[in-house]
Amino acid sequence: MREFKIAEPRTVDEVAALLTEATETTALIAGGTDLIDELKSGVSTAGLVVDLRGVPGLAGIAAEKGGLRIGAMTRIADLAGDAAVGRDYAVLKEAALSLATPQLRNVGTVGGNLCQRPRCWYYRDPEVICRRKGGFNCFAYQGRNKYHCIFGGNGCFIVYPSDLAPALISLGATAMIATAKGDKTIPLEAFYAGPDVDVTRENVLAKGQFLKSVWVPAPKAGQKSTYVKLEERGTWDFALVSAAVAGVVKGGALADISIVMGGVAPVPWRLKKAEDVLKGKAVTEAVVRQAADAALADASPLRENGYKTDLVFAALKNALTAIAA
Amino acid sequence: MNSKEYRAETMIDREDQARPAKAAAAGQAAKPAEPAPEAKPSDYRYIGKLTSRVDGREVVTGRAKYTHDVKLLGMLIGKILRSPRAAAEVVSVDLAPALALPGVMAAIKLAEGKVRYAGEQVAAVAAVDERTAEKALGLIKVEYKSLPFVVDWEKARDASAPQVRDGKPNVEPINKYNRGDVEKGFAEADVVVEKIYRTGFEIHHPTETHGSVATWDGGHLIVVDSTQNVHGVRDGLARALKVPASNITVIKTYMGGGFGSKLGLNEYTVVAANLAKQTGRPVKILLSRRDNAMCVGYRPSSLQTYKVGAKKDGTLTALKLTNTASGGIGAGDDVAEPLVDIYKCPNCKADEQTVYTNTCASRATRAPGHTQGAFGLEGVMDELAAALDLDPLELRRKNYSIKNRGDTGIPYSSKALDQCYDLGAKAIGWERRNRKPGEGTADGPRRRGLGVATSIWFGAGVPGTLADIVLYPDLSVEVICGTQDIGTGTRTHMAVVAAETLGLEPRDIAVKEGNSDYPWAPLSGGSQTTPSVAPAVRDAGLKAVERLKAVAAARLKIDAGDVVMADRKFSSKADPSKSVPFADVYRDLRRETVFHGERAGMPSDFAYNTFGAHFAEVEVNVETGRIRVLRYVAAHDSGQIINRLTAESQVLGGITQGLSAGLFEERVMDDATGNPVNPNLRDYKIATSLDIPEIVPVFADLVDPRINNLGTKGLGEPPRIPSSAAIANAVYNAIGVHVREIPMTPKRVLEALKRKEAAS
Repeated sequence: MREFKIAEPRTVDEVAALLTEATETTALIAGGTDLIDELKSGVSTAGLVVDLRGVPGLAGIAAEKGGLRIGAMTRIADLAGDAAVGRDYAVLKEAALSLATPQLRNVGTVGGNLCQRPRCWYYRDPEVICRRKGGFNCFAYQGRNKYHCIFGGNGCFIVYPSDLAPALISLGATAMIATAKGDKTIPLEAFYAGPDVDVTRENVLAKGQFLKSVWVPAPKAGQKSTYVKLEERGTWDFALVSAAVAGVVKGGALADISIVMGGVAPVPWRLKKAEDVLKGKAVTEAVVRQAADAALADASPLRENGYKTDLVFAALKNALTAIAA
Repeated sequence: MNSKEYRAETMIDREDQARPAKAAAAGQAAKPAEPAPEAKPSDYRYIGKLTSRVDGREVVTGRAKYTHDVKLLGMLIGKILRSPRAAAEVVSVDLAPALALPGVMAAIKLAEGKVRYAGEQVAAVAAVDERTAEKALGLIKVEYKSLPFVVDWEKARDASAPQVRDGKPNVEPINKYNRGDVEKGFAEADVVVEKIYRTGFEIHHPTETHGSVATWDGGHLIVVDSTQNVHGVRDGLARALKVPASNITVIKTYMGGGFGSKLGLNEYTVVAANLAKQTGRPVKILLSRRDNAMCVGYRPSSLQTYKVGAKKDGTLTALKLTNTASGGIGAGDDVAEPLVDIYKCPNCKADEQTVYTNTCASRATRAPGHTQGAFGLEGVMDELAAALDLDPLELRRKNYSIKNRGDTGIPYSSKALDQCYDLGAKAIGWERRNRKPGEGTADGPRRRGLGVATSIWFGAGVPGTLADIVLYPDLSVEVICGTQDIGTGTRTHMAVVAAETLGLEPRDIAVKEGNSDYPWAPLSGGSQTTPSVAPAVRDAGLKAVERLKAVAAARLKIDAGDVVMADRKFSSKADPSKSVPFADVYRDLRRETVFHGERAGMPSDFAYNTFGAHFAEVEVNVETGRIRVLRYVAAHDSGQIINRLTAESQVLGGITQGLSAGLFEERVMDDATGNPVNPNLRDYKIATSLDIPEIVPVFADLVDPRINNLGTKGLGEPPRIPSSAAIANAVYNAIGVHVREIPMTPKRVLEALKRKEAAS
């Protein structure tokens, strides 16, 4: 581990100022469950680590405008245990409980989960300088890629590992970003950006900006939601493919549907084409197949991850069956 | 230590290990045979019963000290710089910048000429703390000249592939076996089945990574090492350092697992000893998790092609195997032993080769060869059963052997495999299996199935193992043996046997082990620790009792033959009113307190093996490819069980490993960088508690009449051997297609289902 300075700001403004004025590379630390590993292994370096744990007002879940405001510093365990989340947003609770382990959920935060770096095993190898780390090659493209993306790869083939991001986007969440000029709000879906935008980053945060909170709108009347996570083992695993689905079933047909997948693309992957196929239809195996095929028209599997196309169907079927039941 | 050296050390060979000629070749003079067990299992108070670990409290309260916990006055931290390249010429190593860093006390060059795998050691430093040592490694300047390399064994077979060893081909034969005439056997068969099975690279990954602490006390070297072999490490160090073995003491404290990866001397231990010598201070070297994944071995892969022939009624007529193993710069494992031995068949042929690659050498991994072999052999037995429309268990019973080498060799001294089949089948509810693979009731995308697999293994123990019992004048009792408890419960076994024999309780016994200065015992591998150590302790105990009885007889003025020992008293059988407490007799022993026990030999005209039958019930989701193991029953024949509690733990551990390797574990190598992409526990996935089902251990409890004075056999490896295979066979029973490759990840299950679809 290289040496770094640590700053312990006491206000949001101080955080923004530190980030804006820093001449060295900065990193924000929230729960620290991943950042510390990254710094120790040398995968990333930081001259200045800004600790958010002393900044008041960044943690907590509160009702706001009919929906819920979730602070970036809210612990995953608190999100999973929140009564309003459990009542109105099953997909979010299920996603929170599916991730990592109880120990990590007790320390890890919502903001940390939404801003985490990729788990690509080439990116995580300190000896490898891949495109995401400023190098010239993606080693996964022609290398070992059973966990890599089938959608949206472009010079880099990571998958975005967050479980919360697909869940929140399926619910239509927005992100509040603190900037030097005050807060701004954008759809969480627009918070993420693929390698075609900037291959070294996974989101649109500019220098001096950080994620302050997310807001989830009130559930639509009759809205049901669920998170299906397909993993290799029973716990402590990243999704091979996951499906966050929120929708309204009226008269046996899907009146409204939103589908976001994890584990398939460098960003949480919205299945717009599948949604279009499903709208107004009853959930049957044939319809799910049709929807999956529509989505998979955009898929470009690599040498070792073709099985993920089967998992897209399986995850979609499980999730849609659950909300249509 | 590769599998050949392992076999030599463990006296496990393709020839019968009890033959005097073989024993002599392994450095052991032929021993007189052990006396048969004199007590019946029902006579025992502790042996075969449940006894809590004597060291359990220390371990669960965190007070037990492991090698990682060792802190000595003035101790330095040693770190090793490792090659990032899979093949290179080390042109130069400049240690000066590292040595200039304050706090660095020594730096040494380790590599000369070529490095042949990523992770091979190049240089080392000793510094006042870990950070300084880490920093110093970064300052060492190494100039490499890259050489062509190959890490994928399938590519290494090509004539055009880079040569891994200078002047030697990458492909080399490792085993040939033949009996009878397989071609004649195939001609006689009604059904012939030919299938290919693969097993991948499984890393031991003990919870406690490898490490040593070396200290010189004048000319005497003391090494604390996390090892399965204190005597072997001592002898290895003596050779490597050119120091008399008498000037070296190797100590194993508590240990967090080894599974075969800690069987002999390691390079880093020599480095620690050299750095300690140079600096005059203790040096501790601990390997990282990444080092553990790259430098200290793994189970070699296998590609096994089986061709088997049988009559309509299931009678086997021919068994044929060709296998290609790969163990990096090591020699891989031959996997034919289960095929050669277990099922009655006159015609059997095996032909095996290994492929060298630029990865570190494989090492013995819990049941080297057998675990891979059982996966292939037991898989093809099930596919043969389906082709014959027979119950897989009936097919196994039909070809039951009572002599080794497929019923063509010498008789097994004891074999309760038939009981294991019965006990296991009953406990799992074998009648609930699908009569034909894949033809069960579907619950949506979920299919259930049951599978069975058999194991045969060694586990006779090593003649010549020594143990002492010391009776102190203050009435305390000690049992000493230079074995090592590697987490399996050896300390408790020693206490149980000593207590049983001396009429005391296990907690009355102080146990000393894990030190090369203590009486000789073999390495802890090959399922030989308990059947080596327990009989030696028993022998020492019996000698102590004999002596105590003589002393008691003198005190009581009765005949020694009239003395009985019970309830901490010696009394006269004829006149129970005549008795003397233990305490008084012990005190009389003042000048003769040490009793030497030795494990004797075995009659050479028998084969000594352990057996087991595993039964798994699984649920497979045919859409997601996920396998869940629902229930598991393991029935074992390991002779007299010494402590049922630790025996059950051993079984649970073996199945957990087999499930983990069967479903998740796989080292993945990158062709371009020559490095593994998952040298960590995030991407190298090991089963968690949520993946483990209810496991029911069952023991056949057949006491071997001639193996040793307790009738006990080993249990170290057996629970691991058939566990991946039983799960794979259950998956086959569930979905109607055998995945034929471990780990059975969702990817491979889905691919197998596509294979089935394409075939139909």
